[in-house]
Order: sequence, then structure tokens, then C-alpha cells
Amino acid sequence: MAKLTEKHNYEGTLVCVEGIDGSGKSTQLSLLRDWLKANGKDVIYTEWNSSPLISQTTKLAKKKNMLSPRTFSLLHAVDFADRLKQVIAPALKAGFIVLADRYAFTAFARDVARGVDPKWVRQVYDFAIRPDLTIYFDIDPKTSMERICFNRTPKFYEAGMDLKLSNDPFESYLIFQTRVINEYKKMLEEFDIVKLDANDSIHSKQVEIRKMLTKILEAKGVEL
Amino acid sequence: MTKFKHGYEGLLIVIEGTDGSGKSTQLELLKRSLQDQSYGVMVSEWKTSRLIADVIDDAKDRNLLNATTYSLLYAADFADRLENQIIPALKSGFVVLLDRYYYTALARDVVRGQNIEWVKNLYDYAPEPDLVFYLDMPVDVLLKRIIGTTGLDFYESGRDVGFSTDFYNSFEIYQNKCLEQYEKMKKRYGFISIDGTKTISEIHKIMSGEVQKILDTGVLD
Repeated sequence: MAKLTEKHNYEGTLVCVEGIDGSGKSTQLSLLRDWLKANGKDVIYTEWNSSPLISQTTKLAKKKNMLSPRTFSLLHAVDFADRLKQVIAPALKAGFIVLADRYAFTAFARDVARGVDPKWVRQVYDFAIRPDLTIYFDIDPKTSMERICFNRTPKFYEAGMDLKLSNDPFESYLIFQTRVINEYKKMLEEFDIVKLDANDSIHSKQVEIRKMLTKILEAKGVEL
Repeated sequence: MTKFKHGYEGLLIVIEGTDGSGKSTQLELLKRSLQDQSYGVMVSEWKTSRLIADVIDDAKDRNLLNATTYSLLYAADFADRLENQIIPALKSGFVVLLDRYYYTALARDVVRGQNIEWVKNLYDYAPEPDLVFYLDMPVDVLLKRIIGTTGLDFYESGRDVGFSTDFYNSFEIYQNKCLEQYEKMKKRYGFISIDGTKTISEIHKIMSGEVQKILDTGVLD
């Protein structure tokens, strides 16, 4: 692990949010974006599995349920590498605040929950830049499921159905996401990740996040 | 019963070498001679996973790849073929013939500036082959062969690496650097190195001789 544990020297600031689906991380990130923009900051936003190079292929392959855990992991790494080299790193060099909805930690949590070796996947993402601030939104799998699956069945991969944990997608979701959460919790110390309780109000979480970011920006000499 | 160091019933044979070194011709000959002896043969070529190969070709056409995405896409193609074709075939006792293996990625990615340990990690789960043939060809012969057949291709000439904007120079530099990497791997991975300028039938004779030695031990019977 080289770069992910070393402070970067770019002028910009990298903020990441992590957590399982339904933990409210995207809501918080978009509130943060609007606030930063209103303050005249240069901000870009990037999300998991969205690179034009590969994201459509990955989505298609997911629909056909044809991915092994390792191929799944490498395809997401391609997506991440593409965005890191073409979007994130140039923006950081240009002094932007980069907001990332999910980062390499998503891969570490999900891939390892699928049985991929933790050291292997960390090595694969060795080129990732260490964020200035990473926030993990802690939620229990049941609440997450109630939030995202109130009107639909969990999807094949999000329920970890590829692991054959249970034939019932709801039950499989709970088992799989519990594993993902365990992986996230192991990472809190390893990568200096801040944990927030997803059950707190939208307002109180946003206040907390703004406070943390303001401090980081001040240390870099950026006024808000 | 475990018969080989990779632990599968079948036999894993790899042919490595740069572009235009005659790999596919030899693979075809080897395949036929094994089938003639009633062995089950499965062939798999580099960059042919139904899932990812098209993405690589398309991205290359549109010049979308950087060194890291280049490495990772090939690694994904490899993982898909390994897990969906190669390992199942080895488990069922096939002779698996491979046109290129992860040595190709090691050579090309390192020439593109990747850290060798990082690349090795991408492929560290791949089973060790029982035989690796390496077709050794001098660059001047390669150049003539490629110009005379497919013509110089952007990535085969390493134009993406930026050694030279001249196709001929770039090809020469890039292929020489790849050869340097192969040279280093020869001993490390126990390649059976064959002079690629020998005739097709001479090369085939050497290869089938080596394969026969293994078959004669009765491992696949």
C-alpha cells in the first residue's frame, strides 16, 4: 500500500463517502456540493462505476449474472482507474474539491465480502490517491433494506446472490450486507475513516461534515 | 488425484513470444497432433473473453486507454477466461493450449511503466503451466514479418507509450523493450526457448517432442 496510506501533495481536496446502499451518503454529498458551490468553490463530483470506458459493460455483465468475484473486482478497478487518471487526479492538480460517491474502500468491502483476498484487492488499487476526508455512514442492514427495497426485490449482486448464501433475495441481502459492513468496520482505523451514524438527522450529519471539511480546508489555507 | 504442480487433472501448455513470432501457427499444429493422438484439446487465445475483448478493441480504437486501465482490462479478460474456460477444462483433464499467458502482460505492462510487483499481483492466482514455449525472434525479422502481413499497428508499435511518433522507430524500440522483459523471464519461469527463425516443421518437432515426454509418463491416461 503506497499511495492510499500516504498524504497526497495536490493543491485540491478529496472527500469520499462510503457505506452500504440506503445509508444516506449521496444525499449528504449533494448537500455538500451545493454548499461548496454557493461559496464559489471549484467542485467536481464523481461516482462509482460511471466511467464511459467500462461501466456499461459491467452493468450488462451484471444483468446476465456472468461475473466471477475476481472479474467483478477487476472491472470495477478499471472503472476506478479510468476516473482516477482522467477526472480525479487532474482536478486535484487544478485545485478542485473532488467529491467521490464511493471510493476504493467500496471495492475492499464488497470484493472481500465476496471472498476475494483482502491483500490482493488492496494491491490492485495501489495507485489510488489517499482522500483528505473519508466518511463512513453506519447503518444496519435491515434499515438499509427497508429504505432501498420498500417497493422492489434486492438486485442479484447487491443481495450477493452470486454467493449462494440463500435462495431468498431478502435474506441473502441481509447476510451479504452484514459481511460488507464488517469489512467497512475493519477499515475505519486502517484508513483513518470517520464514522457517522446514518440514523442521525440529515441536518446534524451535514453540520458535522461541514465542520470537518472547513477544518481541513483551513489547514490548506482555503477560506470558506 | 493430483498430478501436476497446479493440482488439476489436465495439462497446461503455453506458447509465448512477441507479435509475429509464429505462435498461432505452432499452436494449431500442436493442437492437431494432440487430437490425432485422441487427447482432448482446448485452445484459448489472449484477449478473447466474450465479455471484455470488445471493450479493449473499442477503447484502443478510440484511444481511451492509459497504462493502468490497459493493464487492468487485460487482467479482467484473463480472469474471465481463466475462471470460465481454462480452469474448468483443466479440471476435466483437457490439454489446454494457450496463445500467450500472463508473461505477455508482465512484458507489456512493465514496458508501459507499471511496477512489476503490481502487475505480478494482478495475476498471482494463475496456475503455473506445465510447459512454456518461448519463440525467440530478433526484432529485424519481426519487423519484416509484420510489415509483410498485418502492417504496423498503433499499440503493437507501442505508439501509446510515446517512444517515437515514427511508426518504424516506435515499433523497434517497443518490441526491443518487450524482448528485454521476455529475456529476463526465460530463466525465472523456466521457458523452453526456441529459435523462431527455424522452419515451421523444425519448431513443431521440438515442441511436440517436449509434450510427448510428459505424455509418455502416462499422466493423462
